[in-house]
Amino acid sequence: MHMADALVAPVVAGTMYAASAGAAGYSIYKVRQEDNQKKIPVMGVMGAFVFAAQMINFTIPGTGSSGHLCGGMMLSALLGPWGGFLTMIGVLLIQCLFFADGGLLALGCNVWNMAFYGCFVGSLLIWRPIMKKGASRLKIILASVLGCVLTLQMGAFSVTLETMLSGVTELPFKTFVAAMQPIHLAIGLVEGLITAAVLLFVNEARPELLWGVGEASKKEGKLSFGWTIGILGVLALLIGGGLSLAASSLPDGLEWAIARVTGLEELETAEAVIYAGAEKVQSTTSFLPDYAFKGSESAVGTTVSGIVGALIVVAVMVGSAFLFRYFRHKKKQS
Amino acid sequence: MSHIHLDVEKLNFSYESGTPVISDLTFHASEHEAVGIIGANGAGKSTFLKLLLGLNLNFTGSIRVEEIPLEKKTLPQIREKIGYVFQDSDSQLFMTTVGEDVAFAPRNYGLPEEEVERRVLAALEKVHISHLRDKSIFKLSGGEKKLASLATILSTSPDMIFLDEPSVALDPKNRRNLIHVLNEFEHLKLIASHDLDFIWDTCSRVVLLSQGQIAADGTPEQILTNQALLEENGLELPLSLTVRENRTPG
Amino acid sequence: MSKIGQAISEIQTLENISREDRWVNRLHPLGKLVLTVFYITVTVSFPKYELAGLAGMLLYPLAVFTVADLSFGDALRRLRVVLPLVMIMGILNPFFDREILLTIGRVPISGGVISMLTLMVKAVLTVLAGYLLIATTPMDEICRAMRVIHIPKIFVIVVLLIYRYVTVFLSEARRITQAYELRAPKQRGVHYKVWGSLLGQMLLRSMDRANDIYESMQLRGFDGNFRLGKKAALRPADFLWPVLWALVILALRLFPVVELIGRIFV
Repeated sequence: MHMADALVAPVVAGTMYAASAGAAGYSIYKVRQEDNQKKIPVMGVMGAFVFAAQMINFTIPGTGSSGHLCGGMMLSALLGPWGGFLTMIGVLLIQCLFFADGGLLALGCNVWNMAFYGCFVGSLLIWRPIMKKGASRLKIILASVLGCVLTLQMGAFSVTLETMLSGVTELPFKTFVAAMQPIHLAIGLVEGLITAAVLLFVNEARPELLWGVGEASKKEGKLSFGWTIGILGVLALLIGGGLSLAASSLPDGLEWAIARVTGLEELETAEAVIYAGAEKVQSTTSFLPDYAFKGSESAVGTTVSGIVGALIVVAVMVGSAFLFRYFRHKKKQS
Repeated sequence: MSHIHLDVEKLNFSYESGTPVISDLTFHASEHEAVGIIGANGAGKSTFLKLLLGLNLNFTGSIRVEEIPLEKKTLPQIREKIGYVFQDSDSQLFMTTVGEDVAFAPRNYGLPEEEVERRVLAALEKVHISHLRDKSIFKLSGGEKKLASLATILSTSPDMIFLDEPSVALDPKNRRNLIHVLNEFEHLKLIASHDLDFIWDTCSRVVLLSQGQIAADGTPEQILTNQALLEENGLELPLSLTVRENRTPG
Repeated sequence: MSKIGQAISEIQTLENISREDRWVNRLHPLGKLVLTVFYITVTVSFPKYELAGLAGMLLYPLAVFTVADLSFGDALRRLRVVLPLVMIMGILNPFFDREILLTIGRVPISGGVISMLTLMVKAVLTVLAGYLLIATTPMDEICRAMRVIHIPKIFVIVVLLIYRYVTVFLSEARRITQAYELRAPKQRGVHYKVWGSLLGQMLLRSMDRANDIYESMQLRGFDGNFRLGKKAALRPADFLWPVLWALVILALRLFPVVELIGRIFV
C-alpha cells in the first residue's frame, strides 16, 4: 500500500528518507563490489518487467477478486537484495512521478515499507537461509509465501505507525492495526503464491537465474545471525499481532496480543506511549513553528475570519486564473 | 588493397551442448562490398555475425579485422571499427531520447562534448532524422527506430557495419528509405536476412550459409536467381524476380 | 480501456506535455525538483486544524497551471490513486474528534470535520504539485537533476532504463493479457494454473532482452562507466523561479495571510 504525501508529517518523511537512503547507499556499495557490468541493464529491465507484471490481474480461485505479483520478493530472488532494493526504488520513483502512486515526500516511507522489507528481510532472512542447500518446489513456495506474508505484515504495520506518528488520523491505534494486518495477511498470501508460481517456472527453465541458491554458508558472519534473531523477533511480534487479531474470538484480540508481546500490563499504557510519541514528533516537527502572530487567536484556521479569508482568497485566485485563461484563449483565437 | 578488410579462416564454433553451428568457415571481404548473408533458420547467420563482433570468444580458427586478430584484449580496438544493428531496435536503443542514444558510443570513446555533439548531428543527418533528436525513443515508429539504430552506430564512423534482419517489421515506405540510406554507406556491409528482395536491392555479393558452412558465394544475379540452389536451402526466389519472370512473355 | 492501456497512454501523454516548448519546461530541472519537494513539505507541515492557512497554498499550483496552460482535469484525475487511502484515514475523524471548534451561523463544526478537510486539501495540493513537476520536466531531465545533487550514477541509470523499458513491457503485458482474454473470455483475470508460465515466459524474454541490451552497450564501447552529457549552464531565471516561489510559500506558512485578509471583511 503506497503512503500518500498528505499522510506524512515532514519529520516522519525525513526520518524514513534517511533510513531508506542509508539502505540504498549500502546497496550501491554492495552492487559496486559485485563489479558486474551486466547487472545494470539487468536491473533496469527487471524493474520495467516488475512494473508491468504488477499490472496483470491474476484470478484468485474461489473468489471474484484478483491479486498481483510481489515486486520486492521477486526482484531480490533474481537480483539479490542489493540490486533488488535499488531496482525497487526505481520502480517506486516512477510510480510516484507518473501515476501519483505515493508521492515525492512519502517516497522514503514507501521505499522502506515495500522495498526494504521485501528485499532485505525477504531475501536475506527468508530466501537465502531456505535456499542455502539448493532449491526445490516446496522450498520455493515456502520462501515466497513466507517472505510475502511477513514483509507485507511489516509493511502494513509501518504504514500504521507512520500515519499515527504523523498525527493525521484520529483512528485509534488498535482499530487501525486491526484493519490493516488481516487484510495484508490475505494479500500477502496471494502475492506469495503468484510470486512462487513465477519463480517455480524460472527454476525449471533457467535455474541459474535465481539468486542465492545453494550458497552453502560461504561467509555467513555471526553478525548476520544476530540480525536474524533480532528481526525474526520483530517479525514474530507483528505476525503474532496480526494473526491473533484475525483469529481471536476475544472481545478485544489486539489488546490481549499487544499486552502479551510487549509485556505491558495495560493496553492503555501502550497506546499512551504511542500517542505521546506522536505528540512529541508533532511538536518537534513543525519545523515551521505554529503561528505566533501578535493578536491572533491560537488556532487561526478555526476562526471565523480565517474561514472567511480562505473563501475570499480561493475565490480571488480561482477567478483570476479563470480570467487569465479566458483572455489568453481569446487572444489566440483573434 | 584498401585498409578496410575482414578475414575469417577456418572458423569453428559450437554451443555448450556440442552441436556445431559454424564449421570450417573461411570468408574474406573488403571495402565497398555489400555482402548479403542468407540461409534458412538455424543456418548460423546471426551466430556468424556475433562471432565477428567478439560477443562469443569460444571459437577456433582465426578472425582478423584489418589485420588485428580478434581476441579479448583487442576487443575495444575492433569494436570501434564495427557497427552492429540489432534485429530488435528496442534492445539497441536503451537511452531515453534519440540524441542521447546516438551520443552513447562517442562519449564512451572519450571524445570531448563538442565533438560528440558534432558526431551526433552528422550521424542523424546521414540517416535523415535530424528532426527526431530530442524525441523519446518510445514515441518513435518502427521505421524511425531502425534509422535511429543505424545512427547510433554511424556516430563512431565505423569502417564496417553489420545488420541482422534489418527489414523485419518495416512497411514498404520505411523499407525503401532504409535501402536508400544503406546504399549511401560506402564501406563494408554485411547484411544477414531472410528478405531476399532486400538483399537484392542492397548487396553486391551474396553468401549462402547452410549448416554453418558457405554453400555458395557469388553475385546476387548468380545466387538469387538460382531457384534450385535456393530451394535446396529452404529459401525461395525473391518476389520481385518471380513477378518479373511471370510477366516476361513466353 | 484496460488498466494497462491506460497506464501506457498516461505515460505517453505526460511525455508529450513535458516536452512541449513552454517556458516552465525550459527551466532547469533541479530548481523545479527542489521547489516541488519544498512545496509539498510545507503543505503537509500545516497543523491539522489549519484549514484556512492551507487555502493560501493553492496559489502556487493554481498560478503555474494557469500560466503554463496545463489541464487541471488531468492532474485531478490522478487523485483516484491517492484518495482512497487518504479517505480511510480521514473519514472517521469527525466521529472521533467531536470537540466543537467553530460555529458558523448556528452550525457547529467539530475539530474532526476540520481535520478531515485539511487532510483532503493536503492530498489535492500535493498531487497537483507532483503533476506540475512531471508535466513540465521530462524524465531524463529529472534524472539529470538527480545527478547534479550527486545521487549515485548507478541508481540514476537504472531509473532511466526502467523508464525506457516500462512502455515496452507494458505493451507486452497488454498483448499477453489480450491474447489470454481472447481464449478465456469468461475469466476476470489469469487462471491460477497458468500464473507461473504466463509471467515466467515474459520474464525469460525480458532476461534475453537484458542480454541484448548489454551486448548493445558493449559493442558501443561500454566499459562499466556510464557517461551522461552535461546540461547547459544555469540562467538567472532557473535560479530566481524556485527562490521566489519558496519565499512566497514560506510567507504563506509563517504569517496568517489568509486570516488577515478575512479580517478586513469581518
